[in-house]
Amino acid sequence: MSKTLYWIQGGSCGGDTWSLMNADTPDPVELFSSFNIEVLWHHGLSVMRASDLDMLNERILSGDQPLDILCVEGSIIHGPSGSGRFDMLPSGPRKDFIYALAKQAQVVLAVGTCASFGGIGSDSEIMAGGLQFNKWEMGGLLGQSFISRAGYPVINLPGCPCHCDVMVGTLSALAVDDPVRLGHYNTPVDWYGVMVHQGCTRNEYHEYRIEEKRFGERGCLFFYMGCHGPLVTGPCNKALWNRRSSKTRVGVPCFGCTRPDFPQQYPFFETRNIEGIPIELPDGVSRAHYMAYKGMAAAAAPKRLIQRKTNI
Amino acid sequence: MTTLKKRIPLNRVEGDLEIHLEIDRDNVVTMARSVGTMYRGIENLMTGRGPLDSLVITPRICGICTTAHLCAAARALDMACQVTIPADAQRLRNTTLMVEQIQNDLRHLFLLFMPDFTRSHYAEHPLFDQAVARYQPLKGQTTLQTIQATKRLIEIVAILGGQWPHSSFMVPGGVVSVPSSGDIAQCRHILNGFRRWYEKQVLGCSLERWQAVQTWDDLQAWLDEDALHQNSELGFFLKIGQSTGMDRLGRGPDCFISAGGPDVPGSDGSTTSLVPAGVFSPQGIAALDPEKITEDVTCSFFKETPGHPFESRTLADPDTTDARKYSWAKAPRYDGKPAETGPLADLLMADNPLFVNAVRAGGTNVLIRELARMVRPAMLLPALEQCIAGMSHANAQFYTDALKPLTAKSVGLVTAPRGLLGHWVVIHDGRIANYQVVTPTTWNGSPRDREGTPGPWEQAIMGTVVKKPGDPVEVEQIVRSFDPCLVCTVHTIQVP
Repeated sequence: MSKTLYWIQGGSCGGDTWSLMNADTPDPVELFSSFNIEVLWHHGLSVMRASDLDMLNERILSGDQPLDILCVEGSIIHGPSGSGRFDMLPSGPRKDFIYALAKQAQVVLAVGTCASFGGIGSDSEIMAGGLQFNKWEMGGLLGQSFISRAGYPVINLPGCPCHCDVMVGTLSALAVDDPVRLGHYNTPVDWYGVMVHQGCTRNEYHEYRIEEKRFGERGCLFFYMGCHGPLVTGPCNKALWNRRSSKTRVGVPCFGCTRPDFPQQYPFFETRNIEGIPIELPDGVSRAHYMAYKGMAAAAAPKRLIQRKTNI
Repeated sequence: MTTLKKRIPLNRVEGDLEIHLEIDRDNVVTMARSVGTMYRGIENLMTGRGPLDSLVITPRICGICTTAHLCAAARALDMACQVTIPADAQRLRNTTLMVEQIQNDLRHLFLLFMPDFTRSHYAEHPLFDQAVARYQPLKGQTTLQTIQATKRLIEIVAILGGQWPHSSFMVPGGVVSVPSSGDIAQCRHILNGFRRWYEKQVLGCSLERWQAVQTWDDLQAWLDEDALHQNSELGFFLKIGQSTGMDRLGRGPDCFISAGGPDVPGSDGSTTSLVPAGVFSPQGIAALDPEKITEDVTCSFFKETPGHPFESRTLADPDTTDARKYSWAKAPRYDGKPAETGPLADLLMADNPLFVNAVRAGGTNVLIRELARMVRPAMLLPALEQCIAGMSHANAQFYTDALKPLTAKSVGLVTAPRGLLGHWVVIHDGRIANYQVVTPTTWNGSPRDREGTPGPWEQAIMGTVVKKPGDPVEVEQIVRSFDPCLVCTVHTIQVP
């Protein structure tokens, strides 16, 4: 029994599609063929005459063409002033078309942070929002109470871009009707139940509070250089990127791109702190305990770490 | 005389695009307007941000040329901080830039451009079945191989920069990464594997054999001499391209612009530019003068502001009553004239005889534009090998300290996969006061200017004879031959 899939792009950079193309086991070609997913339309890749696409869209909206999985990549653009006219189809604002499609779909996937929460442009004249969230607030285009035909809220797959394993894993589960267990902000716990911090090769430096203030060093980037790894969830240091590495492993601080407020309004690459301790602490940690622990950690630091001798 | 007016929405243009056409009763396109339909407003959301934020935000302009934007942002910041980056940082940046270019060129060709030959429009063509077998979206043999080969190649960016797409490993002063000798060895192995695939599947011959093709006669002889050449992607492309008239379709302007590069540091401290930056025109070759770059908004839905990117603003004007305005793409001009940019521009600036002679003799066309894209990797691969090898020495230095700028006016120009990319930034009191981005597709897909001169692909479309006015596939192929990236063309929208 095959599932049908429709992939539409809103206020998008296309990054989630190119991230999907990097999937390894399976690659996207293998994924769609061996899991019996019929791609009705992918905006970035499909070949179809415009008139044929119009007919397909009509048949989906009328219910004649069943739609199992709707993937939305990119934000819902509401600007200027709520009209949606900054992102137009011949039929009208794209947000209206996406709204109508979502009503027909068995499952709706918000692929990437922009589709999940608004992402790039969420604080600008284009008024970018997500499918069921505008940043931290539930609602978005479809409204708080939206449940898709198969009984899910919008499944959010944040990340800028979304990690290919997340897309492949979620689509694989949906293709065989395996339930997708959702956690905070309706993200699948399989990939968003782990902190970005877990698996970073700089962890030992982090443990002993060896914190860098300069690029190009081996130590931790949390205290001074804006790393969000201990603060946000994501598969980056567990699944790795492109089978190889992650930003934090090479020395780029995590920018918190899975979080509903990405991109933050305050500057990147620096950590806001009070008396040298970051203002934002890991979830559930008390400041008093944290300060005591970090003080002792620094005191216990071995020379090899202080001298940055241990490789990462 | 009846004129058919059509609005053609295009996909496989890395974003959204509409072409508005007028076709006369002889099936000739008499008018073409290039209209973007989505606006993301990234330039304006930069205002007020910390200066390093461009390294995070601007890669999100585009999901396939993310590293090029990162590099343009980093170069503008290098200039703002008045810092010269170490040679090894230059090599690392170049490596990731070139890897992204090659990945893009091949993904565009085989996932975005060639699939048009699988349309029913070509069903009667003798090579149609082969085209379908090779390029059917998400199913073709070449599709599969391209995805596999390019995703393996792009691992180089992850090894050196953390991830692809969307990393921010380039910073003012160099790069944050310190690759180990093991990392560099892995990059070499990946590149070797990629080169073998490119030579076997894409060219059908060695790079050296390809370099010997210097004239159009050489090219025909190359095609005839070996079945491996005929059956490679290049051979198939030449056969189907010539037999469908792609070599007589889509003549654009005769002026080309390139940011040149990469600048490859030698072991003796010297630097050679693989491609010189500049402008190629019937008058000859000239060095690139960034002061001559302006953006005209006569036909664009923006309020008039000074034309040079340091002074101009992005002020949306959706409710204008000026009937001349039809697109939200601005119209970049060099010395007042439109210019085409991309791999063809680079090969012309590099004085490649095959392309220089063909363009001087007969101007551009779809075939030569995409041929340039298909063989540009042959030019880049040796430079890539040199950059990677150059990084593996004991005293490699990848970063030099750079203070965050409080006040600056600076520019970063880069050869992105599709051509000349520029970021212009003005910083006041440690915050971004103005940020302007001019992308390759803004050049190629530009609307008309105050003189009424059309942009490059508008010009290339006009005069085309279409087989079926109701389904002008030829027009789509002309536009796609420019490898459009509409998500990059960040100001574009049309408000009906």
